[in-house]
Amino acid sequence: MKKFSNRYMILYSLALVAVASIVLSVTAVALKPRQEKNKVAEQQQMVLKSIGVEASRSEAGELYGKYIAERAVGSGQQAANGNSYYTYNIDGREGIILPLHGTGLWGPIWGYIALDEERYIIGAVFDHKGETPGLGGEIASAKFAEQFIGKRVVDDKGSVKPIKLKKNTDKKSLYEVDAISGGTMTSNGVSEMLEKDLNSFEEIIKTKKI
Amino acid sequence: MASRNWKLITMPFNKENPITVQVLGICSCLAVTAQLKPALVMAISVTIVVALANVIISLLRKTIPPRIRIIVQLVVVSMLVVLVDQVLKAYLYDVSKQLSVFVGLIITNCIVMGRLEAFAMTNPPLPSLCDGIGNGLGYGIILVILGTLRELFGSGTLLSYPVMEKIGAYSIGYENNGLMIMPPMALILVGIIIWIQRRKS
Repeated sequence: MKKFSNRYMILYSLALVAVASIVLSVTAVALKPRQEKNKVAEQQQMVLKSIGVEASRSEAGELYGKYIAERAVGSGQQAANGNSYYTYNIDGREGIILPLHGTGLWGPIWGYIALDEERYIIGAVFDHKGETPGLGGEIASAKFAEQFIGKRVVDDKGSVKPIKLKKNTDKKSLYEVDAISGGTMTSNGVSEMLEKDLNSFEEIIKTKKI
Repeated sequence: MASRNWKLITMPFNKENPITVQVLGICSCLAVTAQLKPALVMAISVTIVVALANVIISLLRKTIPPRIRIIVQLVVVSMLVVLVDQVLKAYLYDVSKQLSVFVGLIITNCIVMGRLEAFAMTNPPLPSLCDGIGNGLGYGIILVILGTLRELFGSGTLLSYPVMEKIGAYSIGYENNGLMIMPPMALILVGIIIWIQRRKS
């Protein structure tokens, strides 16, 4: 077996790593615009899904432009975080869509919740970065999201009342949905996310009619 | 020479199959075969990574100090895997979401390191390329068999085309088998494939 000096080994590894990092940096920069476009389209798909419109990635941009308008949040925590909210107008029905951001068990979770003028939920959609498939990951399923339809985010007096994820829910309650069995930590994350973000959107929920 | 290279490509399909004979790469094979499309993309990704890694390591083989060869192999493999991941994110976004961590885990796929250590370190580039393609495809063929069976009987579709609905199976009382889309069923199916293969040889 050929002998290699320590100097050779160190220089060899340095050169190898340098070449690898150059190759990767060039590809990352070259592919970035395409990847960003995919991410934007995915977000548009999610917003559309919250009002019940299933769009493929290629038609998302067009349908989004047709039904959805992005609005700036005037002030408060959400504005400070750089978030905006959305309004929709589909077949004469109008309302607002609020973005949600929270933390699950393993990483970020997020979602969109679409409200009508009376602040009943017409649709919701959730997604996650890395919750356990089959357990916490179920928040991304249609079955979980459908539970929110028909619930409400304000009480009779019009002040914000967030929905909670619980075990043994009262089916008649407008403010409870079933938590995910085996996904308690993620479910708690969703509850916290709803409480925090719905409260911080209070002004918009109360004042903006559409 | 040519026939030897051809043998390197075809041997892994049966006699030296990485999954059923060497029992490598089982983890990803259970995880990505619930549907046919991710199985196909995974098969192609692994084939590209093994083939290219084999060629690069084979070209470098005389310059690689034996004491740091595993690190050198890992750097090459990780670079290729990140490249594949980036390309998937740009051109096949949905599939890349479905494959999620498993593309990254190609780095630790035993087939890749196994081929580099056992073949590319001691053979010239062309046979290494053939060996890489062969082993990638040998892995891929099992993935495709599993993906086909699991998607067809688990979800009633193939590449998202509703086969079972079209042939009217549901109207005569047929139902999808939920166990098929669970990872344990992939392990059982791999076991059955190994059984059939051993029985034949």
